Amino acid sequence: MKEFILAAEDVNKTFQGFKAISNLNFYMDKGELRTVIGPNGAGKTTFLDLITGRSKPDTGSIKFEEKTELTDLNEYQIYRLGVGRKFQTPTVYVDHTVFENLVLSLEGSRGVFNALFARVTPAQRDRIHEILKTINLANKADVKAGTLAHGQKQWLEIGMLLAQNAKLLLVDEPAAGMTDEETVRTGELLLSLAGKHSIIVIEHDMLFVRQIATKVTVLHQGAVLCEGTVDDVQNNEKVIEVYLGRSKARA
Amino acid sequence: MTKRETSLGALVAFVVIVVAPLLNALPPEESFFHLSNFSLNLYGKFLTFGVLAISVDLLWGYTGLLSLGQSLFFALGGYAFGMHLMLLIGKLGQYHSDLPDFMVFLGYPKLPPHWVPFKHFWFALGAVALVPGLLALVFGFLAFRSRIKGVYFSILTQALTYGACLLFYRNDFTFGGNNGLTDYKFLLGHDLRSAATQRALYISSALLLLGVYLFSRWLTTTKFGKVQRAIRDSENRVLFSGYAAANFKLFVFVVCAMIAGLGGALYVPQVGIINPSEMEPVKSLEAVVWVAVGGRGTLVGPIIGAVIVNAFKNYANRAFPDYWLMLEGLLFIFSVLFMPKGIVGLPAQIRAALSRPKREEEPAKPAAPAPAPVEAEAESV
Amino acid sequence: MLKKILLCLLLAIAPGFVRAATDAEARSLLAQAIGAASDDDQIKLTAQLPAAPTLKKGLIAWREGGVYLYDSGAAKIAYILDDATDADGKSKAFRIDTGELLKDPAGKPVLFVSSDLNAVDTSARLRRVIQTALDMLALADPDPQARRSAVMKLGMSQKKAYLALLEARRPLEKDVDVRNALDEAAALINLNDPATQAAAIRQLGDLHSIGSYKLLSTIAENPGSPNVKGARAALKQIDTYISWSNFYGTLFRGLSLGSILLIVALGLAITFGLMGVINMAHGEFIAVGAYATYVVQNVFGAGLALSPFGFSINLPGLNLSGARYDSYFLVSLPVAFLCAALVGLLLERAVIQFLYRRPLESLLATWGVSLVLQQSFRLVFGAANVQVNSPGWLSGNMTFHDVIFGYNRLFVIGFAVVIVIGTWLVLTKTPLGLLIRAVMQKRDMAACIGVRTERVNMMTFALGSGLAGLAGAFLSQIDNTGPSMGQHYIVDCFMTVVVGGVGNIVGAICSALGIGMIDETLQPFIGPVMGKITVLAMIILFLQWRPAGLFVTKSRSLEG
Repeated sequence: MKEFILAAEDVNKTFQGFKAISNLNFYMDKGELRTVIGPNGAGKTTFLDLITGRSKPDTGSIKFEEKTELTDLNEYQIYRLGVGRKFQTPTVYVDHTVFENLVLSLEGSRGVFNALFARVTPAQRDRIHEILKTINLANKADVKAGTLAHGQKQWLEIGMLLAQNAKLLLVDEPAAGMTDEETVRTGELLLSLAGKHSIIVIEHDMLFVRQIATKVTVLHQGAVLCEGTVDDVQNNEKVIEVYLGRSKARA
Repeated sequence: MTKRETSLGALVAFVVIVVAPLLNALPPEESFFHLSNFSLNLYGKFLTFGVLAISVDLLWGYTGLLSLGQSLFFALGGYAFGMHLMLLIGKLGQYHSDLPDFMVFLGYPKLPPHWVPFKHFWFALGAVALVPGLLALVFGFLAFRSRIKGVYFSILTQALTYGACLLFYRNDFTFGGNNGLTDYKFLLGHDLRSAATQRALYISSALLLLGVYLFSRWLTTTKFGKVQRAIRDSENRVLFSGYAAANFKLFVFVVCAMIAGLGGALYVPQVGIINPSEMEPVKSLEAVVWVAVGGRGTLVGPIIGAVIVNAFKNYANRAFPDYWLMLEGLLFIFSVLFMPKGIVGLPAQIRAALSRPKREEEPAKPAAPAPAPVEAEAESV
Repeated sequence: MLKKILLCLLLAIAPGFVRAATDAEARSLLAQAIGAASDDDQIKLTAQLPAAPTLKKGLIAWREGGVYLYDSGAAKIAYILDDATDADGKSKAFRIDTGELLKDPAGKPVLFVSSDLNAVDTSARLRRVIQTALDMLALADPDPQARRSAVMKLGMSQKKAYLALLEARRPLEKDVDVRNALDEAAALINLNDPATQAAAIRQLGDLHSIGSYKLLSTIAENPGSPNVKGARAALKQIDTYISWSNFYGTLFRGLSLGSILLIVALGLAITFGLMGVINMAHGEFIAVGAYATYVVQNVFGAGLALSPFGFSINLPGLNLSGARYDSYFLVSLPVAFLCAALVGLLLERAVIQFLYRRPLESLLATWGVSLVLQQSFRLVFGAANVQVNSPGWLSGNMTFHDVIFGYNRLFVIGFAVVIVIGTWLVLTKTPLGLLIRAVMQKRDMAACIGVRTERVNMMTFALGSGLAGLAGAFLSQIDNTGPSMGQHYIVDCFMTVVVGGVGNIVGAICSALGIGMIDETLQPFIGPVMGKITVLAMIILFLQWRPAGLFVTKSRSLEG
């Protein structure tokens, strides 16, 4: 039996009377690539916030690798355990070059005094160039990140997760703002990372979900509605009712 | 920085550090080339303001922390050094006592214990940096721990400054109350008012400014500097990249407090007085004006701003005293609205304006694009 | 037995209280008394004098040997001398019986040198009776405060003779406080008599007599006294009373200080709290309001001449006086509001509208504005503080159970309540308020559904500025009005809003009152400056515990 990379039990979170997460139970194996879908307001992003320490649950526990309680830690402590996050809106350092963005994300010491005297080693430089190739930004190394196109920023942020070499990647809507071709590439990239890393992807684009998903979790009103393969989920009555039905009707 | 800029910088440094004092010392007073004691003293004062301005900019321009407490740290450094100078007056004071005049006047039986070690030059010199540093450490620890940022940080540092200022205005706070510390006579055995001593102080100020400038240049190019700017642009990303942003902010806040303290220490012997008016919140805001006018986010900008604004102030205060404050205010409004990158950024701004003359004049866009609010939750609302 | 004698004495004196005599009658009675042939007659007549305040001067003069007799031939006229003397050292004389100038038969005023004259003689017995008459006068003073202090003076003297006086006065007294004082004074006198001491101690305790504290302590500390226990109990009662009245006093002062904070911070709670604009010129808007009040006051009075920037402006005055003059304050309130709102409107259009998404820059630019405004005040109104007179009804105070309620403090509390209710009504019950709340919560969305956000911003900022102006109108009554007055309040304002929780009016109210209370509680122990510093330190520590202030409004949106 595989170890859980993440286990959330009976998690609740309320914002001014609005129950964003309600009795959520969520388990994920090590090395798994999991897609989380759900209509607006289902609590997907709030769930990521709770995992990464951005907000604290009212009740419940979230365990990382079955031993570390994440709800006691803050953002950077959780990051240092090996949890990386890509935001829904690409969040990169706009005034830094692409290269510098990656330098700041490379795994290694995060201390103040280390930062004063650290130099970029040749090995690190090679690693960054390798990542740049992976994320298709090799020719943009010295460009300010603020000038990149939306899709490129998305990739840069994914590249920053790669540089970090996180155990668990939380990827919020990676395909937003990308061309179809870029979307496919993103999917391939995520698939190639699965196994080595555990990944949670939040996505709306069902084509993309179909491309990458091995297992899908549907969130509704802050709780898990159902879990299974893409087909299972798409044929589930309840899911069609709350989510896919509407999106099909729209399509 | 290009090679040309580096050599220009070296030339300016040479003129300021070597040529100006020589022009003061060598040519006879009636000579055209003579630089008067008064002017040199004035420039020395400007240079210490330059140090203060860099401390503001390292926080504001580079880290996004608008500290309105820099005048407090500047004044604390000044007080620490002023205490040493007070104790060097000896029996030459008005009351011919070993105690500083104000203590005799207020009826102190003996020197308060915390004054005693300031008899030693090196202790005072250490205190000049350490006292502001310590205060910044305590205050910064509390503020950054509870994630106070943006305007709240500004308001709180202003409150800190205001509180300290009220405290120093009190006679029983043992620092001379309203009148502060003044009437210094000697420094390291030299007559403080002699031209040679003042010249030495000028050179020290210039060297300090150069040192602070070089240190800041080094700091901003290290990985630390990168994290600093990253905090300014997207503190959330920094946190989610595993950096304890609070520690970085605390470090730079303490360093800047110490820099300001050093500047204050050299300011005091040159103007001959330190009193609580130097730490009023308004003084912090003035230093921010210099940085804004000179160009924040650069290291030359604050120096240029400090010198130009103060030179202008010096002139305007004599030429039209009634209108100086108004001019300062208007200058400030103007530079915020129309010169977001200050004097240093002006050439680039003009070039940009010329390169697209067709477009309507834009209402000043933010200097650094305001960090886009992370709308992570917007979706799930 | 004793009581009976006292009652007799009382009967002799009582008519003096009862009879309503005109001043003229009273004066002639006094003149008769002075002119009476024998000492006994004088005493008898004096004891029957009515308690008319007009007699005070004459009685005092008589007792102190300052009454003289003028022989006009027909009669002897009693008179007193004026305090002022002319170049020859001569003084004018006033008749006791009419109060008018003493004239010789030819109708010319008579002048005297006081050292040439022989005063009317008085015996020791007579002087005591005169003193009693004077005390009676004081007891009948139309001002209850004066009556009270006269009563207490008699009580503190602990002279038995006064007991009758006090008891005679007791049924006539209508003012509750004075009646209590009469009881207290009587008990104080009884304290001296071993026979009545125990009862007096009990009564003083029940009356919470702070004045008797020292006397009671002496009894309590005297082991020989039979009433040690009673005195201790009474002292305890008084102690409890004192701490309660101190508590309520502090509460009241804290409430009024909090109200001042609230009034000055309310405008900021709107511009900073709701709009996110850091307006460092808020203090100067307060000053605009104060100066507007100053101008209105001068227009109601003698007019005002100003010479700003080399021009000269003369505002004609209405030259009103009395209550009509005092009503200037009511007129100045809307004027102050409108002036400050107008300045705010201009500022919003000229500067702030470009800086909505850049709070730090708006802080700096508005500081520039504050400098410009301050200097403008100096150039227009001068660098010195200007004199703003409070209307008569704002000065004075009332005492209730030994807690002093200043009218200006009471006024500020009422003023704050009115402003808060007014603001609340504007924000919740008017179309403008609806728009303001819509724009402040979701600017983009409001714009999408056709709200003219620009105009709403403008109006909101003007509203906040106008409130600052109102605060200024009030502050001109209790504080100095000068070019830098705004600077004294700006830090307090921001602190109040930050502690309350930005964007939350209720929070601002709670924090203003809280800060006011804490400040007033600390002040008696460590003084105003240290109190202020301690409050600042406490605020910094408070924000450790609640970084977002008392009331968090936006828990779901963290800024990037």
